[in-house]
Amino acid sequence: MGGDKIRKDKRQKREDYRAAIRKEGVSELPRKKFYRQRAHANPFSDHQLIYPPHPDQMDWSSLYPDYVVDEPQEQPTPAPETPSDLDLAPLRPKRISQEVEVADIGCGFGGLLVALGPLMPGTLVLGLEIRVQVTQFVEDRIKALRVQNQDAQLYRNVGVLRANTMKFLPNFFRKAQLAKVFICFPDPHFKARKHKQRIVSTTLNSEYAYVLRSGGVVYTITDVPDLHEWVVQHFEAHPSFERVSEEEQEADPLVNVMRTETEEGKKVERNKGQKYVALFRRLEDPAW
Amino acid sequence: MRLPYHLVKGCGGFVFAAQGCQIHSFSSGLEHVSTWRHPEDKPNEPSAEPQSSPAPEGPPTKRRKVEDGQDSASNGQPVESANGKPKSRKVAQYDCPANERPFIQGLYATTDGRHLIAITGSDKTIWVFEHDGAGNLKQLSQRAMPKRPCALTITTGNRTILSADKFGDVFALPLLPSSTPESIETLTTITTTTTTQSPPRSTTPSTQPPSRSATPSAKPFKPQADPLTVHTGRNLKALEAQKTSLARREAILREQQQQAAAANRPPFDHTLLLGHVSMLTAICVGTTFSAASSDGRRREYIITADRDEHIRVSRGMPQAHVIEGFCLGHEDFVSRLCVAPGGRAEVLIAGGGDDDLFVWDWLRGRLLGRAGVLEHVRKGVAGQEAAGKVAVTRVLACGWEEGARVAVFVVVERVPALLHYELLEDNTLQHRETIPLPGDPLDVEAIETPGATARLLVAVYPTEQDGSSLITLDKDEAGWRQGRVENLPAGGDVKIGHEELQKILYSTESLRKSSDFD
Repeated sequence: MGGDKIRKDKRQKREDYRAAIRKEGVSELPRKKFYRQRAHANPFSDHQLIYPPHPDQMDWSSLYPDYVVDEPQEQPTPAPETPSDLDLAPLRPKRISQEVEVADIGCGFGGLLVALGPLMPGTLVLGLEIRVQVTQFVEDRIKALRVQNQDAQLYRNVGVLRANTMKFLPNFFRKAQLAKVFICFPDPHFKARKHKQRIVSTTLNSEYAYVLRSGGVVYTITDVPDLHEWVVQHFEAHPSFERVSEEEQEADPLVNVMRTETEEGKKVERNKGQKYVALFRRLEDPAW
Repeated sequence: MRLPYHLVKGCGGFVFAAQGCQIHSFSSGLEHVSTWRHPEDKPNEPSAEPQSSPAPEGPPTKRRKVEDGQDSASNGQPVESANGKPKSRKVAQYDCPANERPFIQGLYATTDGRHLIAITGSDKTIWVFEHDGAGNLKQLSQRAMPKRPCALTITTGNRTILSADKFGDVFALPLLPSSTPESIETLTTITTTTTTQSPPRSTTPSTQPPSRSATPSAKPFKPQADPLTVHTGRNLKALEAQKTSLARREAILREQQQQAAAANRPPFDHTLLLGHVSMLTAICVGTTFSAASSDGRRREYIITADRDEHIRVSRGMPQAHVIEGFCLGHEDFVSRLCVAPGGRAEVLIAGGGDDDLFVWDWLRGRLLGRAGVLEHVRKGVAGQEAAGKVAVTRVLACGWEEGARVAVFVVVERVPALLHYELLEDNTLQHRETIPLPGDPLDVEAIETPGATARLLVAVYPTEQDGSSLITLDKDEAGWRQGRVENLPAGGDVKIGHEELQKILYSTESLRKSSDFD
């Protein structure tokens, strides 16, 4: 079949391209056309995902190799609030010197990540994306940028992971680990029947509150006015969050980065579309 | 064939056992007292049952439910359906008539023994019965939930039912629905804010009751895309067409929306407390001293388990939106949670598709230990030497000898034995023995006996012809003395194949993930 042949050629080209770009020391930036994937993923299905059973078992060393701590094996590890020391201990991976504090949920092709990296040099930034091909693109992009900026030591603090955050956020992050969470141009899921698939909902907001420290901020941006309304309503309805005032919002330099540096943000810019921004601060939990 | 008993529950000195769509009650001496039947259960007309012809029959359950609602409403029994309109499109997906039967899926008792609660599967209904203290049930309420409840629990004080559903949400329902729903509604808007889709801090109070399916703002349809967000010319055309037809349809739509809002309005009070993006499998309430507070008052927590290996610990009402922590470490689905009795309320025993049971300090999310299940199934059960995996379906912990010993009994799906463990002082869970049974246990319950000896009641399947499917196990010096409960009430004969029945009775293993796509 002709169609099959064309598809095969395409796939072959894609594979060849990726194999070439993944060779050590390649500094060429990856090209999107070899990483295209359907824009939507079903967050309810059991994808073949890799995730740690517990955040303590997460191996960050491959994502942030420059932050790996060379420690003697027998050093008593400080016990955080979840020291599951019995059976989990032998699996404890190599430690890194600091923790991820900024997460970009649904990072897409990684525009924001790449912008945040040099802006927050002392902070580990992680992008999370559910689509395999897109995650690989960002991986290759970061790799190339690290090579290109070898001397300036840039982009060492940026990493990307394939994950379904709607299900597995607490597998990666401990309670109150994060300072900032970005949710940029999420899938709008227009149909009411699909609203449960939206990445913002009152029940899911409890998980964002769990991983955020008090005072931490959720950054949201969308070009769909109804989704913006939905996001605002659901965060404001959640007692753990309050909306950041517009004044403060506009004073935050990261808001502008989010507006202009995300891939989706650039697209909306090209189409002269509207962008709706809302920030929410994690409040302290009430006494219990 | 005769249906086996598949659920047993002690309640106020009596024992309730579910058989298909019926609940039978027994005295402590295991004499039959009375029987409750699901309204759709018609034992005398087996021909009316949807038989092994799934395709043509496939009666739309939801439509049937509405009809029933009208029937019983005329009897003065209010039927409460969260969503009145039949979703005919969805019905087509249920090609399996096994799931269409309103089997009793769960049986729960309040601690005071005055109320019994049942979940039925296909009609997603929670039934509350009053127990008169003599083994008789009086149906108090029948509430059809928006999604199928998987498990429920009752908060301390026996006031509120917490229902965990297949969609991942936990709803709170008052045990006894108030006759004046308005007052309840205002109460919930004060005490819990998680469900109210309208912002609680906003100055405009919403009169609309919280309903998760409705969008926060019910307003006439308008295209959510605009000329700037559509990416192709064809979509742009579609958008324009949409806009022209909009004006015409607006009036009709507005009217429809009003009607839909009225229909969607749940006729009974139910408050969304929390939710996972995963099917919930178990829920329980833990009470302990809060880590932060120093007033010495016990706090209530809601512990929920899902198919994606999580055990979540949330604060109790009214702060159920605060996640206190997770017990993470399971590598397969969690299907059963059990808080240890006898002053050991900080210990949680969890089982599921893993090879082991996990013992947790649930408030701190600390793993205290593990106890093998698969190894003892292989070692101690005839015919299971090559078993590759286990699915735990029951974990029952009982405090015996005045709470000095905590015995834990575990049922594994399709394994004809009961595993007996003991929770030791140092919180290790030690395997004591494997008790062989004549059939696969479906449920186990510890029942009070006049004597001091420990007694278990086990529902088993399959049983030989005309044999009783309820078995008693009495502890004596030699071990466990097995007896059969005789003189079970007649009936319970339903034309159903073994295969179809097994689909209903053995549903836990199917929680295991088997997908192999990206």
